[in-house]
Amino acid sequence: MASEDARYRETSQFEAWSFSPSQLAAMREKTNSLARQRITERILSSASNPLAPASNNTSHANTPDPSGNGTPNPNENGAPTLPDFLKPEEEALLISFYTSELLRAADHLGVPDEVRATATVFFRRFFLTNSIMTYPPQEMILVALFVGSKAEGRFPRVVEFQQRFNTKQDILAGEFLLAQGNRFNFEVRHPFRALMGAMMELRSYGDIDEQRIQAAEKRAHEILLSSPLMTDAYFHYTPSQIMFAALSLADRGLAERLIQETFHFVPPTTNSDSTPAATPLPGSDSLGTARKEGGGKGTMTNDERAAIIGTGIRDKVMGTIEACRNMLSSELPERKSHWTSESIFKSQIRPVRKKLLKCRDPDRWNLSELQRQRREQGLRREDSEERAAASNGNKDAAIFGGDLPAGAPEKKRRKVGGNGLEDPFGDPL
Amino acid sequence: MSRPLDPLGFEDEMCPVCKSRKYLNPDIVFVFNPECYHSMCLNCANRLFNDGPNQCPHAGCNKTLRRKGFRSAFFGDLAVEREVDIRRRVAAVFNQVEDDFETLQDYNNYLQMVEDLTFELVNGTDEKRRQAEAQLQAWEAEHKADIERNKKAGREADEMSRKRLAAERDAARQRRIEAMKEAEEEKRERVKNREMELDNLAKGITPATTEPSTKVQLKRRGGNRAGAATNEPLAQVSNLGADASEVERFRYRMHAGLSHPLMEKYRLDRQHVAGGYSFDDFAARALYEAFAGLGVFVEDEKEPGGGASVGGGGLSAGEVTTMAAGIAATGDVDKMDLD
Repeated sequence: MASEDARYRETSQFEAWSFSPSQLAAMREKTNSLARQRITERILSSASNPLAPASNNTSHANTPDPSGNGTPNPNENGAPTLPDFLKPEEEALLISFYTSELLRAADHLGVPDEVRATATVFFRRFFLTNSIMTYPPQEMILVALFVGSKAEGRFPRVVEFQQRFNTKQDILAGEFLLAQGNRFNFEVRHPFRALMGAMMELRSYGDIDEQRIQAAEKRAHEILLSSPLMTDAYFHYTPSQIMFAALSLADRGLAERLIQETFHFVPPTTNSDSTPAATPLPGSDSLGTARKEGGGKGTMTNDERAAIIGTGIRDKVMGTIEACRNMLSSELPERKSHWTSESIFKSQIRPVRKKLLKCRDPDRWNLSELQRQRREQGLRREDSEERAAASNGNKDAAIFGGDLPAGAPEKKRRKVGGNGLEDPFGDPL
Repeated sequence: MSRPLDPLGFEDEMCPVCKSRKYLNPDIVFVFNPECYHSMCLNCANRLFNDGPNQCPHAGCNKTLRRKGFRSAFFGDLAVEREVDIRRRVAAVFNQVEDDFETLQDYNNYLQMVEDLTFELVNGTDEKRRQAEAQLQAWEAEHKADIERNKKAGREADEMSRKRLAAERDAARQRRIEAMKEAEEEKRERVKNREMELDNLAKGITPATTEPSTKVQLKRRGGNRAGAATNEPLAQVSNLGADASEVERFRYRMHAGLSHPLMEKYRLDRQHVAGGYSFDDFAARALYEAFAGLGVFVEDEKEPGGGASVGGGGLSAGEVTTMAAGIAATGDVDKMDLD
């Protein structure tokens, strides 16, 4: 017994990845300020004691920083100059730019719609809680595409990926990072199949010209492939709302017709006291509670019906779709040329990118180096643990070399299960 | 009992009386008399012994044979045939079983004695054979009552085992018949249900169709063996399951005439149809996705005031940020199991 809305509320997309605009802005602000703080700390610590590595950047001192040019070189006096950090707006601009790059990469690969959309959503979600100054966006694009393919049930080879993009980048190095940044929520709900469903429903009305339907579907599909991905639509709206917005951009009449037909229920006048109760606040409160309490199946009260398909809620839905439509219309597919044009790149993107090169995180920027360091650190820790244990089992560890990675997963599992450390999965959803 | 070598490997026996061979007369049948174990062809035996007892035609054999004693050999080698006959005779006399003896030693001694005697009878010289024969008869006379009793017990045991085998065979046949009957009935019921479903469809009653099919399924799984009493709750459980997985539809209705050009393409594609792909399922899913979440207003529900009433589903935005930033900032491997 669950209405369509209640079922959507159970998805991770709604539970963990839906935000109001103000929340989203606050999160970006916070991510930005945290990143500033951490990077400052790290630059200072690596400059003050370059020979005695601190715990959080162990091998940074004795390995030459492979990222090279971007790291601010501390001068010998031990007083490093702090770089000029990116502002949240600049970050947002760069993220939009790199999202368009991601879409271009997806076109280049020729991946299916779902893979393309999932990869983009992964990318945007990752950089919602991680600053673009902390992790390299260019590298994360390939990682997002790779993980996105896997999440949608296609399993490309890493080598193929590298060949297609003519790169030697270690894609697997960022894989776990991306998954963690997405809080291991791999299922993304998309509006593509919903569009097909809407078209089926429209066709079944029987009085709409087939040509019109097909044209609308084509255009709406085109919009869905870029506009919601370039904007924050996935954070603010549900897939069906996005779909209706795209449809409305393609053919406003059809979208309105479908909404009218769906929200057709007019509660009988005898039950007059229930109608105003549902109308003024059809959104959260009355909706949620009414549906939960109405446990009896089959026999829906008029209240419940009104809350789900009533005319009272229709205007609210229309308003939401309209807002989504406005958002999508700011990034219509035609705007692709805006992001790819040379002049825009020179005038807007390049200065910010230069700035980014100066202020990025020295420890986190190189993904494969980061992964290597963390592995080493993990092994060292296990080594010392083993020595402390001083059990008989150490004999073969001494013979075969105790730090075989084969033994590592079990140890880690035990560790994770054992004590109440801060769970990388976050609080229970 | 030497035989001419047979270089070709054919057992081309020859009747020592009429010199006829299997090669010349394929229908030839050899018989022998257990008196002396000399074989000859059936024709010769009939001819020689038709008029009553006669001497064995083999040179040097003085036994007097009768027509009645002749039989065909079970073993190709008549020496074996003879030994088996002797053993049978001995076993009929020495038919004691282990339970008749007080100790195992006694039983083993008895078995040793029997075997020695048998060997004398089979392979011994004339002298020894005669002695053994005498011993055998003496024993028979001495233990007449025991022998009789054991014979009876053996017969009873035989009878019992024969009865048991017969009973088992009967039961197996009965089971087979029952299984056949059951299969027949199931088939009939399926046909009946099918017709009922079709009737219902024709009348426009859809929900009634689920029940009969589950019953049939239960039957197939052997669920009906326990009887009707247990059958009922099982059916109920499965019905409950069906209800839970059933999607409650509010904003749309599944109806005929839902189609999409992309779907039509696959409807004709044999590769898709052969696998039993259900186009209705696809249509249902597409429609569900089209209307699911239309009434979910993220902005209202996620704001601290509105979000709480939806069941406390979402983490607050602040929590997420703090956590992710914490992950990004820390260098501890505890929190980052990169692998």
